[in-house]
Amino acid sequence: MQHVANLSGLRATHAQAAAIEVAGLSHVYGAREGTVPALEDISLTVGAGRFVVIVGPSGCGKTSLLMMMAGLRRQTSGTILCAGRPIEMPDPGRVGVVFQEASLFPWLTALDNIEFPLSIRHAPREERRRRADAMLNLVGLAGFGGRYPHELSGGMKQRVSIARGLVQDPPVLLMDEPFAALDEQTRMTMGHELLRIWSQTNKTVVFVTHSLTEAVYLADEVLVMSARPGRIIDRTEVTLPRPRTYEMMATDVFGRLREHIWQQIRKVT
Amino acid sequence: MRRSALILTRLALLATILAAWEWSPRMGLLNAALLPPLSDVLAMLVSILGRSQVQEAIGVTAGEVVLAFVIAMPIGAGIGVLAAESDYFGQIFRPMLFYAFSIPKSIFLPMFILVFGIGFQQKVAYAAFSTVFIVIMSAAAAVESVKADHVLVARSYGATWAQVLTRVYVPSMLPFLLETLRIAMIFNLTGVMIAEMYASRSGIGQLIASWGENFQMPQLFAAVVLLAVVAIAFNETVRWLEARCSTWRT
Repeated sequence: MQHVANLSGLRATHAQAAAIEVAGLSHVYGAREGTVPALEDISLTVGAGRFVVIVGPSGCGKTSLLMMMAGLRRQTSGTILCAGRPIEMPDPGRVGVVFQEASLFPWLTALDNIEFPLSIRHAPREERRRRADAMLNLVGLAGFGGRYPHELSGGMKQRVSIARGLVQDPPVLLMDEPFAALDEQTRMTMGHELLRIWSQTNKTVVFVTHSLTEAVYLADEVLVMSARPGRIIDRTEVTLPRPRTYEMMATDVFGRLREHIWQQIRKVT
Repeated sequence: MRRSALILTRLALLATILAAWEWSPRMGLLNAALLPPLSDVLAMLVSILGRSQVQEAIGVTAGEVVLAFVIAMPIGAGIGVLAAESDYFGQIFRPMLFYAFSIPKSIFLPMFILVFGIGFQQKVAYAAFSTVFIVIMSAAAAVESVKADHVLVARSYGATWAQVLTRVYVPSMLPFLLETLRIAMIFNLTGVMIAEMYASRSGIGQLIASWGENFQMPQLFAAVVLLAVVAIAFNETVRWLEARCSTWRT
């Protein structure tokens, strides 16, 4: 326990600097008959190096919120700060994004997919290759660089996606249900792998998912969003120690945390 | 089946058809006046290729085909891309394009003759007209094949619109565009031939029509062989390129 307390103390000091600050964010869709409020008064702070998971019912706008953090969509009002500066357009140097399955370019090899963000900003060929190779090693795919996406399994494709998201070394990684299309076993393995990569790279991660088990297993903190209009209705600190192990899923603490989050979601759907 | 065995079987099939062409008229199974033996046709092909009249006709037809193609491709691709990319334009014009596509183009040929006469311009105009609709349809399908997710990924890495175009649209669409090129050429060649055979003073189509009317079957078949070889060669070249650019399409 002493060890655990030390670790969390370390994290707390580490978390003083905010990687992402969302303040008073609202979003309204223009529809044929009037407007539809999609997100309502969302404020949240993600400390640097933290792993924050957002869960919520389908259509609550969690993906929209993530896209706004990535600068891919503009909110109606409110601000998003990343490293103290507002996010108004995609800034791959500050924020990397990992999308749902099948977002790899099928006409590029795994290595070329990982190099894509670097080639967009015309990085020298040598640097591109060196960074992409390092990322391939990091995600455990050394030797698979020449494969095309259709020659890779679902889990391997998402490893490539993660490598692509990390290749520019952004401090923040946004992940939009990256493992939703994987089978249960692969999904567990990938979650575990993601934690390994996260602890090796010291990134701040914001992760959207439907799976409560995944949420508790991965997160430092779980945010629950309500159905439309999406609001943040609960914030749960996951007190399980790091590194997480599969055995923890069978513990009472894990079960209670999962149950608590489930009750919050049930209240609003 | 193993690849070598497959190729051998295909060659055997081709050889059988060619042998039947050679021997059935010679053995009296088919009327040699209607179907001259293959060897006679090939000999005639060599002979007519030497005639200046035929060489001129080939030049005229080739000119018509190339020009009609060069006109139809960019116009069709432009309209197709617009119809697929712009909701406004697409919603207005799409039904009209479908209607126009379904009408057989050959029924407009008399109109083209009235407007353009029976010269070079009429062949080019009619062939371009009969090709442009298939190009519009294929180009629209090519644009629609571009996945919104891929565009989003590129944008998230800070791609400019020019980069999205060259790094996402072009590679996504390339196999479809090559397919468009191939199918458009089939329509284009058909258009030129029909126009030449219907009313013309020059071109291979006109020669074929007149050889047919005068019952000069060896000449007629020689021209058929020539056109078939050219059409197949073009088609297969583009298909080969298509296969090379679309190994990722599964």
